[in-house]
Amino acid sequence: MERMTEYSKDYTADEILTVLMAREVKNDDVMIVGVATPMVWAAFTLAKLTHAPEAIYHYIMGNTFVYEPRQVSLLYLEMNTARAYRFQNSGECTLESLPSDTLTTIEFFRPAQVDQFGNTNNICIGDWEKPKIRFPGCAGIADFSMFYKRGTFLYTTRHDTKTFVTSDKVNFISGVGFPDGKPSICGGSGPQCMITNLAYLDFDDSTKRMRVGSIHPGIDIEEIKSSTGFELLIPEGLKETEPPTIKEIKALREKADPIGIRKLEILAGSEREDFLNDIIEKELAMEMKFPKLIK
Amino acid sequence: MGTSKLMSLEEAISTFVQDGDVVGIGGLSFWRKPVSACREIIRQGKKNLTICTFVGGIEVDMLIGGGCVSEVKASFVGMEVFGMAPNYRKAIEAGQIKVSEESEASIALGLKCSYLKVPFMPLKGIIGTDFPKVRDDIKQFEDPLGSGTQLMALPKIDLDVALLHVPYADELGNGNIAGAVWLDDDMAKIAKKTIITCEKLVELEDIKHLPGKAQLPMQTTQAVVKVPFGSHPTSCYPNYTFDPKHIQTYLKMNFNDYKQKFISKKSQAQYLEEAGGVQTILNVLL
Repeated sequence: MERMTEYSKDYTADEILTVLMAREVKNDDVMIVGVATPMVWAAFTLAKLTHAPEAIYHYIMGNTFVYEPRQVSLLYLEMNTARAYRFQNSGECTLESLPSDTLTTIEFFRPAQVDQFGNTNNICIGDWEKPKIRFPGCAGIADFSMFYKRGTFLYTTRHDTKTFVTSDKVNFISGVGFPDGKPSICGGSGPQCMITNLAYLDFDDSTKRMRVGSIHPGIDIEEIKSSTGFELLIPEGLKETEPPTIKEIKALREKADPIGIRKLEILAGSEREDFLNDIIEKELAMEMKFPKLIK
Repeated sequence: MGTSKLMSLEEAISTFVQDGDVVGIGGLSFWRKPVSACREIIRQGKKNLTICTFVGGIEVDMLIGGGCVSEVKASFVGMEVFGMAPNYRKAIEAGQIKVSEESEASIALGLKCSYLKVPFMPLKGIIGTDFPKVRDDIKQFEDPLGSGTQLMALPKIDLDVALLHVPYADELGNGNIAGAVWLDDDMAKIAKKTIITCEKLVELEDIKHLPGKAQLPMQTTQAVVKVPFGSHPTSCYPNYTFDPKHIQTYLKMNFNDYKQKFISKKSQAQYLEEAGGVQTILNVLL
């Protein structure tokens, strides 16, 4: 019996973000899983379970290529990478495989600051010489952001005016978007989208400026405008984001990430700490330490 | 056959690590870090070290807290989902240590320069970032062979000493890594001195039969030290994962209190007792 797509009615903020990220994955992608990004891992695993079964994981923590999907884990990630069909040392990974013409790679970056052209900062707030806040660093973002053929993919769980700032307020460009509104001379496709808790943002083809691609259900456009430190392009006939389907939510909750480790990226303060402790207790109690293979 | 390079941790660090050295640290983030060797460096009060690692975590933070570090070269120093590295952050914000802003490629290529004996390697990346504003030792240039491609020249990184922790090693200095190698093999190749700490001491014959054999070959190793649970509180596949509770403890304590309780005058056995003993070991064992 043919049925209309059924949409979830009880999805949460972390779930719509994860689902939208998963939808960006194509079946022939190599999905780069970085450090401390459980939401990205959950999204990629969800993509494997829904529309991109042939996509390949590349775990930075192992510099490994892994084919089979496993449940998202906090403590046992390395076990997953030990199930690789190929290892590389970090030099090979950084210098040879990733920026290649034969692999289409997808990687999500979560910037501390982003401007209207998708230039990003993961280095510091304030002057670099004596920063107000020093962040961990940008890892490979400075190497790959101008490179990837499929472009780069951005996300943030906190759409606010601290994160979305005008170019002059970006304290350090560590990820290249469209410098001065033009594609990078290094040949990559540049930022493709910025997925947030309020909207799906993309980039205008001619001006390369960030625009509202679609607005999440229940969110007011005024809230998006007031949460963004620069002027977003707003197209006529603004669309609403397609909500997560029941199928996507079920696969995410029951298979990809049943413990909900992705929520660590969205929670804050004591709520986050309690949740983290809960995850640790649950995972330490497991007898079998290999993250569960998803069939 | 062969000379044994087996020694105590104290002897290995005091013999091969000098004040002012550029120290390469293997592993990545919370995975297979030579933390016992770092605790020994703190105990011996080494000073003015330049720490070079691909992705650093608690071990870099400890060395900074212990006052051993004057400069850091790393593409990332953090505590993953547990948060930011407190001593690293504080020391930079207070201007107490130098940072050489690095990406993954600048570290990987810098090490590659060292074993190719070339002053720089080109990269078709970093262009368009603010790295050149804070690094006067990198430079954008056009392909001298005429393709017109813009490239970034990234300088050589030489290491005085590499600290690497592995599951298996023999006394001749062959090290075997189960799982990801990261930049450990490159570091062993280029460092003037390589110290391997291992979970389990095996014979050369065993190394031959392990998958990957000696990724760290004897000819580049100066010291082998047996330190079971030597990368705790980080992981050592296939033996144990990282210890989330210890990392939380680290983040909650004042560093000097942490140092008193877990580092100063502590043998590896005393350290493991303080860190929760048998229960902790059972928690992290895979």
